[in-house]
Amino acid sequence: MNGFWDIFFERLPTFLPILLVGFQVTIMVAIGSFVIAMSFGLILAIARQSGSRGLSILAGCYIEFFRGTPALTQLFIIYFGLAQLGFALPGLVAAIVGLGLNGAAYVAEIFRAGLKAVPDGQRQAAISLGLTPFQTYRHVRIPQAFKLMLPPFCNYAIQLVKDTSLASVVAAPEIMFRARALVMETYLSMQIYVLVGLLYLAVSIPLAILAGRLQRRNNRQTAGAIV
Amino acid sequence: MTGLMERLVSWSPELIFAAGQTLYLTLASFVGATLLALPVCALRMSRSSSLRGIAIAYIEVARGLPVLVILFIIYFGLPNVIPDFRWSSMTCAILGFSLQGSALVAEIYRAGIQAVDSGEKEAFKVLGLTPLQGLFYVTGPQAIRIGLPPLGNYLVGLLKDTSIASIIAAPELMLRAKDLSSSSFMPMPVYIYVSLIYLALSLPLSQITRILENKRVRQ
Repeated sequence: MNGFWDIFFERLPTFLPILLVGFQVTIMVAIGSFVIAMSFGLILAIARQSGSRGLSILAGCYIEFFRGTPALTQLFIIYFGLAQLGFALPGLVAAIVGLGLNGAAYVAEIFRAGLKAVPDGQRQAAISLGLTPFQTYRHVRIPQAFKLMLPPFCNYAIQLVKDTSLASVVAAPEIMFRARALVMETYLSMQIYVLVGLLYLAVSIPLAILAGRLQRRNNRQTAGAIV
Repeated sequence: MTGLMERLVSWSPELIFAAGQTLYLTLASFVGATLLALPVCALRMSRSSSLRGIAIAYIEVARGLPVLVILFIIYFGLPNVIPDFRWSSMTCAILGFSLQGSALVAEIYRAGIQAVDSGEKEAFKVLGLTPLQGLFYVTGPQAIRIGLPPLGNYLVGLLKDTSIASIIAAPELMLRAKDLSSSSFMPMPVYIYVSLIYLALSLPLSQITRILENKRVRQ
């Protein structure tokens, strides 16, 4: 075991810069898919709650499909499946789009739960005041739901950063992809994957602590509101 | 189009067999996780702060790592450190999912135990039950009822995550799909078919979980 850490620290200066380049791509994929998931997820949540039955069922089917199947399968459909139909996407784009579409289903559920938690009187009051449905969302319902949604969004972000590791199988040059190439070159699989794990933890643990704090703050405030 | 229908029919036996392997991997990992979670939860709730610290570190690391990294450390990393390590990819996958799952399930247990009314705990103390008896007869059964919906959610997530085991070539549904897709040059129908199989497995589970959740909310 002594030798293990000797090699680990001896090779650290060469491995770390290579893996960090990959980690930048990881963060890029995460941010790109986060933006897609947030915007599309909001649209889905609104469609799900809209008066139109057709829209609501369509959004519901989308959410059930994307939540009921593995993200890996979805990535393969977008990367290999679309290529068969003549729409070959680069791995990086396929990963961002795939994880974004996958995340939209989760985000839609977070929005729905958050919007549901705002008392309906608020919506009725806004409508009575003559606000349009869009204004009701924009100025009344979403701002109030936002605070409640922060902890679940944080948890989603953690899940997303971890899920970006799947992008390596569609040849997106993120950290796992770089790590696999390094392992093939050096055979130091344990050292390299442990280092990769530490880099992921450097992002996911602070996010988890943040999510916990936000959740406790919300809990205290709701407890206060009841008293 | 008739060609495609024939293909779909000819793929079915293999894919259904592979779905069975996915179920096996899921259930074995679920059992592993729920058992391993017991000592983790016990440490997490112990009075000694150093034991608690160890459990917290374990939980945060296991939850914070992508399961792919855990699988790679076990499957590719361990043989490098332990010279005669010869576990199959399936065994490595079960171990990896069990380790990660134990952290999640330990937190589900803890939340369940803490959600039981403290009056119940006082009651069993007054009745002269030992803490272990109390956990077994009073707190435990109630905690399990509270923990069932989150356990259901975990199981659904696990079922989908087992697809990741295909990356270390564990024989399950996704690996079979990859083989079929490359031998037939028809990835789109293969992966859509496989998605529908995953849906058929996960939807009933998530429906049951939803029913349990609603029941609890009403109580």
